[in-house]
Amino acid sequence: MKKLTSAPALFAAAGAFLVTGLLLAFLYAPVDASSMGFSQKIFYYHAPIAETALVAFGIAFVAAILYLRDPDPKWDRLSYVSVRLGLLFSVMVMITGMIWGKAAWDAWWAWEPRLTTFLIVCFLYTAYFVLRQVVEEESRRATYAAVFAIVAFIDVPITFFATRYMPEGLHPVVIRAGDSGMEGSMFLSFMISMAGMTLLLAALVRADVAAARLKDEIDDLKTRIGG
Amino acid sequence: MGSRQFMAILRKDLIRELRTREMLVSMFLFVMLALVIFHYAFGVDEDTDLTSFTGGMLWVTFIFSALLGLNRSFAQEKDEQCLDGLLLCPVDRVTIFFAKMTGNLVFLLIIQAVSVPVFTLFFIERSYLADIGLFILVLLLADLGICTIGTLLATISMNTRARDLLLPIVFLPLIVPVLIAATSATTGIFADGADLGDLAARLGFLAAFDAVFMVAAYGTYDFAIGE
Repeated sequence: MKKLTSAPALFAAAGAFLVTGLLLAFLYAPVDASSMGFSQKIFYYHAPIAETALVAFGIAFVAAILYLRDPDPKWDRLSYVSVRLGLLFSVMVMITGMIWGKAAWDAWWAWEPRLTTFLIVCFLYTAYFVLRQVVEEESRRATYAAVFAIVAFIDVPITFFATRYMPEGLHPVVIRAGDSGMEGSMFLSFMISMAGMTLLLAALVRADVAAARLKDEIDDLKTRIGG
Repeated sequence: MGSRQFMAILRKDLIRELRTREMLVSMFLFVMLALVIFHYAFGVDEDTDLTSFTGGMLWVTFIFSALLGLNRSFAQEKDEQCLDGLLLCPVDRVTIFFAKMTGNLVFLLIIQAVSVPVFTLFFIERSYLADIGLFILVLLLADLGICTIGTLLATISMNTRARDLLLPIVFLPLIVPVLIAATSATTGIFADGADLGDLAARLGFLAAFDAVFMVAAYGTYDFAIGE
């Protein structure tokens, strides 16, 4: 019960941080002085979401290693839930990135290395679910999923590195505010959004793991009464 | 890792293949057909300059033909329960991995040795004989990455319900970094002679990729091959 009650607390904290971050981004942080102007505001959402997606995949990676060391279903649940949330956040990265791309480069899609990396990441972790789908036996499914979660996470930074080898498209790679040192007010707004998004992930992981555990328990009970 | 067991498994795979030649023949025909299809798909006439696409054409073809071979190499083991026999032998799982991986690498190299000259005849105008050593190095390093990841994932795929259907879905997103680096390196060699700095960076990248995933496969193959 205690774990279930802490999820709402995390959600509340995440909500408070995210709303504060949003307000600060629009009211306190100045409009970006470079060519990006107002469209730079999406940065306060886009970058924290991207960071959170990678954190989620990182959690899945660690949980997968823990599962292989000690095959306890709780690690598999944590890994599975984290991949699912990471994928959700990755899709949001793509959507916010495309919106920003439309504003900054006047094109919904440019083969910008970071955006391309997230596209490949989306395919990579969608494959994770296909893999889980085609293995019936539970322990085997968990083991294969863990192996794939490990290999996939190692591939993410490598993919990002490799995408920079591609010839650049028509669109310039815009250097973001984050790369070149932000102003204090921008930095504060950004960090608060970042904290809010990370808390949101923590809350979602917690709630989702609890739900997954309940589902496993129900399945267990069902098989016991011969369902 | 026992070198005698390694040689025994590798020899088994090579002899089996030399007797039936089913993998090599189908892989080779696939490559040749792909090249003909490329010619028509791109609508090539005398004025078309394909140079900037040649690396990509070559590697797309190799990666798909490697997929064919990888699937076969484990389908055979699985069909006649050979894998179970292999697992009963007092052999380290990792030895099985390296032997199967080397077998796949040898087959891919044989295919390349035959098809690269044909590809050159079809599509390359410039003589790249001066850079042939570098080109072979690109082939070797990229093949090693393809076979390392491919062997690990083919083992998992074969143990699932989807079998050979799963491999492309899990393999292709992971191999994107190799494809990018190998493609740009190869195009560089075909186009205007190699820019040594760029080429060295890509070769280093491929070598690092191989090393990282070799370690990852070493650590996880026990779990991939099952009990």
